[in-house]
Amino acid sequence: MTLPSSTLLAQSILAGIFTGALYGLLGLGLSLSWGMLRQINLAHFALAFLGAYLTYQLASYGGVDPMLTLLMIVPLFFVFGIAVHWVLSHFKVTPFNSLLITFGLTIIIEAVLQWIWTADYRRLESSYAEHRYRVGELFLPLPELITLGLSVGIAVAAWLVLKRSDIGKALRAAAEDAPIAAAFGINQRALALLLSGLNAALAGIAGVCIALSYTLAPSQIYTWIGVVFAAVMLGGLGRPMGPLIAGCIIGVSEAVTMAVASPSLAPLVSFSLLILVLLVRPGRA
Amino acid sequence: MRRSLTLVLLAGVLLAIVPYLGLPAFYESVLYLIFHWVALATSWNILSGYSGYFSFGHGAFYGIGMYTTATLTSQFDVPFLWTLPVAAAFAALFGIVLGAVSFRVKAVRGELFALLTLAATFVVATIVLNVPLIDGGQGVYLSAVPMPDFGPSPSGTFYLLALGAAVGTLVIALLIYYARFGTGLFAIHDDEDVAEVLGVPTFKYKVAAFGLSCALAGVVGGIQAMFVSYVTTGDVFTVAMPLTVVLMSVLGGTRHWLGPAVGALVITLLLYSFTAGDSAVIGKVAMGVILIVVILFMPEGILGQALKRFGRKPQDRAARASKSQDRAGQASKSRDHAAQASLPPSAINQQLEAAEAGTDSVPASPRPEDAAVGLADAAPAAPGRRAAASGSSEVLLVAKDVAKSFRGVRALKGVNLSVYRGEILGLLGPNGSGKSTFINVVSGHFPATAGSIVFKGNELVGKDAHLVARCGISRTYQIPRPFAHLSVLENVALPAMFGGQLTERRQAEEDAWQWLEFTGLAGRAHALPDDLNLHQRKFLEFARALAAKPELLMLDEVLSGLTPSEIDEAVALIHRIREQGTTILFVEHVMRAVMALCDRIVVFDQGLVLAEGEPQHVMSRPEVVSAYLGKPIEDEHAANVSGVHAHA
Amino acid sequence: MLEVQSIRVAYGAATALWDVSLEVGAGELLCVVGPNSAGKTTLINAIAGLNRISAGKLVFDGKDISRLSSHRFCAAGIALVPEGRRLFTEMTVRENLELGSYISAAKAHRADSLERVCHLFPALVPKLEDPAGSLSGGQQQMVAIGRALMAKPRLLLLDEPSLGLAPSIVLDMFRVIRDIHSEGMAVLLVEQNVTMALQVAQRAAVLEEGRIVATGTPDELLARPELRRAYLGLDAEEAVQA
Repeated sequence: MTLPSSTLLAQSILAGIFTGALYGLLGLGLSLSWGMLRQINLAHFALAFLGAYLTYQLASYGGVDPMLTLLMIVPLFFVFGIAVHWVLSHFKVTPFNSLLITFGLTIIIEAVLQWIWTADYRRLESSYAEHRYRVGELFLPLPELITLGLSVGIAVAAWLVLKRSDIGKALRAAAEDAPIAAAFGINQRALALLLSGLNAALAGIAGVCIALSYTLAPSQIYTWIGVVFAAVMLGGLGRPMGPLIAGCIIGVSEAVTMAVASPSLAPLVSFSLLILVLLVRPGRA
Repeated sequence: MRRSLTLVLLAGVLLAIVPYLGLPAFYESVLYLIFHWVALATSWNILSGYSGYFSFGHGAFYGIGMYTTATLTSQFDVPFLWTLPVAAAFAALFGIVLGAVSFRVKAVRGELFALLTLAATFVVATIVLNVPLIDGGQGVYLSAVPMPDFGPSPSGTFYLLALGAAVGTLVIALLIYYARFGTGLFAIHDDEDVAEVLGVPTFKYKVAAFGLSCALAGVVGGIQAMFVSYVTTGDVFTVAMPLTVVLMSVLGGTRHWLGPAVGALVITLLLYSFTAGDSAVIGKVAMGVILIVVILFMPEGILGQALKRFGRKPQDRAARASKSQDRAGQASKSRDHAAQASLPPSAINQQLEAAEAGTDSVPASPRPEDAAVGLADAAPAAPGRRAAASGSSEVLLVAKDVAKSFRGVRALKGVNLSVYRGEILGLLGPNGSGKSTFINVVSGHFPATAGSIVFKGNELVGKDAHLVARCGISRTYQIPRPFAHLSVLENVALPAMFGGQLTERRQAEEDAWQWLEFTGLAGRAHALPDDLNLHQRKFLEFARALAAKPELLMLDEVLSGLTPSEIDEAVALIHRIREQGTTILFVEHVMRAVMALCDRIVVFDQGLVLAEGEPQHVMSRPEVVSAYLGKPIEDEHAANVSGVHAHA
Repeated sequence: MLEVQSIRVAYGAATALWDVSLEVGAGELLCVVGPNSAGKTTLINAIAGLNRISAGKLVFDGKDISRLSSHRFCAAGIALVPEGRRLFTEMTVRENLELGSYISAAKAHRADSLERVCHLFPALVPKLEDPAGSLSGGQQQMVAIGRALMAKPRLLLLDEPSLGLAPSIVLDMFRVIRDIHSEGMAVLLVEQNVTMALQVAQRAAVLEEGRIVATGTPDELLARPELRRAYLGLDAEEAVQA
């Protein structure tokens, strides 16, 4: 175990923050869905990848700027999210069964992705990837900065809405005690549908970020599941800033582990943390 | 059970002939896959399907098995077949440690347990990847390892090994299913807390099931390692594998020993038929669609649904039903006879008043609610008997300074009371006074914060609930909590198996019939609790509590929600129970039942015992009246000064 | 103002209320008393829209509200102070109060209503930013009543406000209820603490095992045996002695 130079360490930490930001972005929708709606949406990841592939397709073959694809993806995914939630609540699906059903959805989406885009690795070549900013000795690539910006921006916005706005408070109240919330005029069903739509849209946004920075392959869906769940649980369910902060902690510890020890030890960090959290304070999660 | 066992073994023997038939290798490969998945899914189901603790970590134990075999054969030249038991042992060890740690944490159930086991998979994978002795990143080659040659060909040998694993796993799952162990696991699935209170050693059972499940997965892994002959962590420790196993079991039906095998068969064939190009996509999509459809519309799975449709053991049911109808008929005849010999309640009151106060009080005019049936028809106990019962002075249970706090709320502040053998003791008090909490503490449902509860000389505070049940204490729940997926008969047989008497399953079912007749439920023995109405469900609670043959029976508001005539039947039942020699502790609000039944009552108020004694006298005491009716705004101050916590 | 016409309400598999009828006039304070498991909470929850009625009608201000979805009852003018308070414990006192005025009709007057609640319960003012779950039982009850008042209702429903509270706090609570009523609010109060309830009520009804067995003014009811028997199981003679 050799100590790397301070520059390398700093760059690793930065890389960890960037990765963490993406964990946070992916985890936000999952956390809100689980914490406020009691639905564990495993399909969130597959959905994100669908978004990533759509971005890839539109940008590579349609010549559309990747950021502009958001205009199409966000509304489309919003509607999809509402539809999925409607089905789950219509059948009064338990939290655990929602895990299984969304797993089924994941299989379907993955199969479709494989059919359309094959199992080959795909990389979006965009002008964004060519831009890098330099601060001192550190490099800050543009796609990662965009991801960071979006992740932080959306998390803060979610935090503000939940904390300050009437709708946010209504959501929190309905999550705690839906019948009494209804007694004060809060329509839990409508709010839940709205939130589900937003969560799905978030998955789409995360997908665009993934497309900008990573190589795509359908099998990659599963590599994210574990570590994002770890971020969600560590951050505390239903807390908007939780996945972001926890994601960054995980990302940084992984990056530092990779720089200082061996890259393959990185998963040990996040999953041991997750196990610890589950055993020590499961109630909070 | 014997029939199923024979069939499985027979099937195993028949299938063992296949490699010798000289068929194309293709068939052996497909069958190998099927056996492989049958064994994996069935082993998973032993913990997860039966007890409801869905593990997403089956891949970890499968992988441990694979790597144990891989390492032992390639690094240490251990003969392949000997590595299999070692693989099982290692996998079991990890499972037991993980289980022992996570099952101790009460909140880790359902989705949290699933996540925990998923995380464990990645941790194990990382460790394996980084230890050069085991893998070190290169993967492990087994191609140089000598194959055992008991089969006609290498693929034939693998076939037979996989067949052995599948048959072995199925037999184990089957045996557990029909044993007490299985019933306990199913009870844990439906309502773990109630199972514990009824005497099921939930922690031990879960750890045992987990260990067994992991051991079997380890064996399958070991075989697979040899089969693929090149093992890498990326292929082995995946998320997809446990999820596939879950899919197969849910599809087939998790509540039956054969369910996962059915699911495994269907999915494997489905995937196999769609392996080429575009078809692979259709196969996967079909899998996803099937999973969603099954969860939404067929939660019992294919096998479960089929069994529901075509019935279970139809002959048994008909034979039993006619036998029970005869017995039920006799029982109700004897009930009517007893009813005719009873006295009206006002007469009982009269006699008591006469005995205690030496005056004759005129009974009140008939109450309109009692007009329908009246307690008259249903109270067989003569006053003489009641006096004799309350005269018994053997103390069965002593509670001393019992306190219970929940997150700062002091529900019980220091309760002192004694229960005498053979009596019916009523626990009364306004809402929130601590009566139900007291019962929950005695039964072990909640641990006491302080104080002592001594039952027949044994200290109960600090004991696990299932041990309290073994001592001879039983309780009913205010809102009935039957095991939803067990039949009425099985619900009643369970406490007999795990309660004070610890009888064997068959004997327990015999005993259960007796209790069903006692409570009049014999005609619904094979129904599911959901099919019963509230009255019947309350009686099921009775039967279940009685089946453990307790010395002390605690009833928590059994009469709430019942119609007046149902209340009368329940009161009659309670009398019969006491006549059998059981001591009864009885929380209730329906006052006329309390007056008719209780030898003594204890009134709770704000977590303490306020008064104790004969019902008529206690209920007339001013401090009791104010506890119930409240104090007027003006005399609030005066009442505070004069309020006394009386003791008998 | 409120007419409950022969309602029947189920609770799980059982019927909790059989054919219950009662009326609350504008500005009237009606008390429903009865022992536990009589169905008092089921009754109030049905009027608040939390429980569905399986037979009968609920008429409020001349409109049939029986089939309305739960979240529309508040806008109709009915506010609930639930049994056991049921505050949103993770949220602050201020947020709980603000949520009381979630409906648009009340939202417009939020600032005024908040001021009024603070005036009514001065003890809450220093606690406004604290999480509601950290308050004592009595303070929580104040927040629960305040929350309902924020909805600017025309009918206030109170479900066992004295439950689990120390006697002196119960005193204060009933004084506040009396004050709110004297300002013209129609109130339906369900209570276990009979004596205090009958001191503030204009009319009362006794609910026993899912049926109304007596109605009348407090004095009338105190003189009748149903009350004592329902609570204490004593018949007429013993009741007189007690």
